Amino acid sequence: MIDLSNLNPKSDSLETLTAENTALEIKNLDLFYGDKQALHNVSMKIPKGKVTAFIGPSGCGKSTLLRCINRMNDLVEICRVDGNIELQGINIYDKSVDVASLRRRIGMVFQRPNPFPKSIYENVVYGLRLQGINDRRTLDEACETSLRGAALWNEVKDRLHDNAFGLSGGQQQRLVIARAIAIGPEVLLLDEPTSALDPISTLTIEELITELKKKFTVVIVTHNMQQAARVSDQTAFMYMGKLIEYSDTNTLFTSPKQKQTEDYITGRYG
Amino acid sequence: MGKWFKSGTPWIWMTGGAVSLSLIAVIGLFILIGWRGLSFFWPATVYEFSMESEQGQKSVLIGEIYDSEHVLKQQLLDAGVKGLEDMPISLERFLIKIGNREYVDLDFQWILETVIKDTKVADNVAVFERTKNGNFYGYIDSINEGETKLNLEGQALVDELNVRIQRALDFRDKEHGLLTGDIGRINYDLDRIRLNQRKLELDGQLTDQKISDFAAQSDALRAEYLGLEAELFDYRDQAKRDSVVVRDMTGRLVTMPLSYILDFYQPNNMGFFEKVGHWFHQVYKFISNDPREANTEGGVFPAIFGTVFMVMLMAVIVTPFGVIAAIYLHEYAAKNSFTKFIRIAVINLAGVPSIVYGVFGLGFFVYILGGSIDQLFYPEALPTPTFGSPGVLWSALTLAILTLPVVIVSTEEGLSRIPSTLREGSLALGATKSETLWRIVIPMASPAIMTGLILAVARAAGEVAPLMLVGVVKIAPTLPVDGNFPYLHLDRKFMHLGFHIYDVGFQSPNVEAARPLVYATSFLLVTVIIGLNLAAISIRNNLREKYRSLEH
Repeated sequence: MIDLSNLNPKSDSLETLTAENTALEIKNLDLFYGDKQALHNVSMKIPKGKVTAFIGPSGCGKSTLLRCINRMNDLVEICRVDGNIELQGINIYDKSVDVASLRRRIGMVFQRPNPFPKSIYENVVYGLRLQGINDRRTLDEACETSLRGAALWNEVKDRLHDNAFGLSGGQQQRLVIARAIAIGPEVLLLDEPTSALDPISTLTIEELITELKKKFTVVIVTHNMQQAARVSDQTAFMYMGKLIEYSDTNTLFTSPKQKQTEDYITGRYG
Repeated sequence: MGKWFKSGTPWIWMTGGAVSLSLIAVIGLFILIGWRGLSFFWPATVYEFSMESEQGQKSVLIGEIYDSEHVLKQQLLDAGVKGLEDMPISLERFLIKIGNREYVDLDFQWILETVIKDTKVADNVAVFERTKNGNFYGYIDSINEGETKLNLEGQALVDELNVRIQRALDFRDKEHGLLTGDIGRINYDLDRIRLNQRKLELDGQLTDQKISDFAAQSDALRAEYLGLEAELFDYRDQAKRDSVVVRDMTGRLVTMPLSYILDFYQPNNMGFFEKVGHWFHQVYKFISNDPREANTEGGVFPAIFGTVFMVMLMAVIVTPFGVIAAIYLHEYAAKNSFTKFIRIAVINLAGVPSIVYGVFGLGFFVYILGGSIDQLFYPEALPTPTFGSPGVLWSALTLAILTLPVVIVSTEEGLSRIPSTLREGSLALGATKSETLWRIVIPMASPAIMTGLILAVARAAGEVAPLMLVGVVKIAPTLPVDGNFPYLHLDRKFMHLGFHIYDVGFQSPNVEAARPLVYATSFLLVTVIIGLNLAAISIRNNLREKYRSLEH
C-alpha cells in the first residue's frame, strides 16, 4: 500500500494544494473487474489549470484510472468502483450525480481518433446539439472558437461541411479535441491521444496541449515518457494498479524517490 | 498429380465451377422466361394453310404457327392415323392458333405436315383483338354504320376502320371512366349512407329526422345515378353503332360490332419497324390493362399494383418492428441465456414453412384481430365482414412476421459492427445511451437495416402460399387505392403476380392461350422483384457512402 506520506516531500506544491486550486481529488479509489482488482487505493489531487500526466507500463491501470474520472467505466458491466472522486467537493460516484452532465464537465479524447460519420461542422457542434442548442449563429460561433482552440480552423475553414473522414489522422484527433472543448468542459481527459499518430501530428497535438491548459485542466495518459516530460506539469507513475509516485514532472524525472519509478524512467522495464 | 492437388487448383476450379453453374442457371432461366414471355407480343405472321385429308376433304385454315414438334410415325399409326405408309419415320406437326373461338371447335389445332398441301402468307389478313372470345382472324369485307354498308375498298377501308375503332374505344373509355368514377363513387356513398344509418340504429340514436335526412341524401344520389346511367347507355349505344364484316377462313361473313373490338392489325402488311412499334404497344397494354376472360387475356396491371403495394406495406410494417426488436436485443437486453434463447428462436422463425404463417395469419389476424375490429368499429356492416375477411393489410402483416427474422438478424449484425469508440465518443460528450443510439448508432447501422429490408422484400415479393389464405384473389374488382375517401382501403382483397401465375397457368380453362401469359407474368414478377431490390440496393449504397466508417 502506498499512502500520501510516501510521496516526494519536496513536491509541497501538490501537498499544500488548496481546495480552490484542486480540480479533482481522488480518494482511496479501488476498482474491480469482476474478482480482479485493477486499481488499489489510489489517492491523488489533480491541480486546476495544469497538465497532469499518468505514465506507467501497459496494463498498469493508468487508462482505467482516467476512465474512472468521467465514469466511462460504467459501460463495463462487471466493473465496480469503491472510493471517491471529487469534482469541486462533490463525489462523482454519488447516486444523485447525472452521468451525462458529469461528462459534459469532464471531456475525453480517446486513443484513436473517433470522429462521427458526419460533417466536420456537425462533429464539432454535436455536444451542443445534444444540449438542445440549434441556433445557427451560436453553433457557427462555437464551431469556429473550438476549431481555433484546437488549432484546426485554418486547415478546415473552407470545407466545414465535408465529411470528417476526409481529414488526416492528426487532423481527426484535433477535430475530436475541438468537439470535446466545444461544450466547455472543466477537465479534459486525453487517453494516449498521440499513440496512433505520426511524429509531426504528435508535435502539433503536444503544442496544442500546452495551449489547452490555459483554459482547461488537462489529464493525459501516455506511455511515451518524453511526451510526459515535455507537456506535463505533474506526473504520476503507476505500476500494477498502484500509484507509485506522484510529483512535479521535473522532480519525478530528475530525482525519483521510488526505486520502481527510477527503474521505469531509466528504461529497465516496461 | 499430388502436387496439383496440394496447390489448391482443383479447389479453385470446383468453387469457381459452382459459382458459374448457378450464374448460368439464373441467367438461363431469365432468358428462357423472358424470351417465351416477350415473344408472345410480337405480331406473328399469319398463314393460310390449304389442307386435304386422306378422304379427299379440302379445307383452309388461317392462323399463326404457335408451336411445332416431331412425332414418331409409329406413334401416329398406333393412334389410328391412316395413309402414312410411305412417310419417313418421324413427322412434324404444327400447333396452329386459329382464334375465332365461337365459330370453331378448337381455337388451337394440331395439324400434321402430311395433310398440308399448300402454305402461303395470308395477304391482308386482319387480326382483331376482342373483349370476348379471344382473337379473330379474317379478311375485312366491309364496314356497316348502323344498317348502312359503307362503300369503301382497299386501304381506304382499313383507314376508316381504324378511325371508327378508335371512336368506339373512346366511348368505351368514357363508359369505363363513368363506371369507375362517378358511378363508383355514388355506389360507395350509398353504401356509406346505409352503414351510417345502421350505425345510428344500433346506437339507438336514429330519429325520424335523421331517417328522412338519409333518405333525402340517398334519393339525391339515386337521381344523380339515373342521369349518369342514361349517359352510360348512350355511350354504349354509340360504341355499338358501327360494325365490321369479316370473312373468315371458311368463307363465312361474320358481323362484329366495333364495341367488342379492342384492337386490329394486319401483321402480314407490317414492316419491321411497324412490328417493333406494335410489340411495344402490346407490352404496354399487358402492363397497364386489366385482365379479361378469366385472366387469360388482357393485362396484369392490378396484379403488378397489388404486388408492389403489398410489398411496400410489408416493408413499412416490418422495418420498425424488426429494428426495434433488434435494438432491444442488442443494446438493452441482459446478456444471459434467456436472451440467447430468444435470439435462437428468432433465427429459427425463418425456417418455418410459409404456409404455416398463412394459417397463423388467417387464424390470428383475420379471424381474431379482424373479427374484433369489426365488432368494435364496424358493427353496422355485420354480418358482412370489413376487416374480418382476408385483405391486403393482413397479407402485409403476415409477410411482415415471415420476414421479421431477416430484418432482426441483419440489424443486429449491423449494430455489432459499429466501433465501440464511436459510442464512447458520443457518450463522452454527455449523450445518454438513447441519444447515442438515435444520433450515431442507428444512422450508422442503416445500411445493414437496408440489407435486411432487401432480403425481406426479395422473400416477400416471391411468396404466394400464405397469401392465398390471407388476401389474394383471382380477380379483384377494385384496387386497394382509389379516389373514394379514405383512398387507402386496406381491408380490400388484391391481386398478386405470383398467384396470377398459378391461376393463369394451372386454373385456366384455356391452357394454350394462357401459356405465354404465364411466361410473361413470371418475367414481369422477376423484373418487379429485381426492380424493388435495385431500388433498395441503391438506397443502401447511398447510406453506406454517407456513413462510411473508420477502418476498424
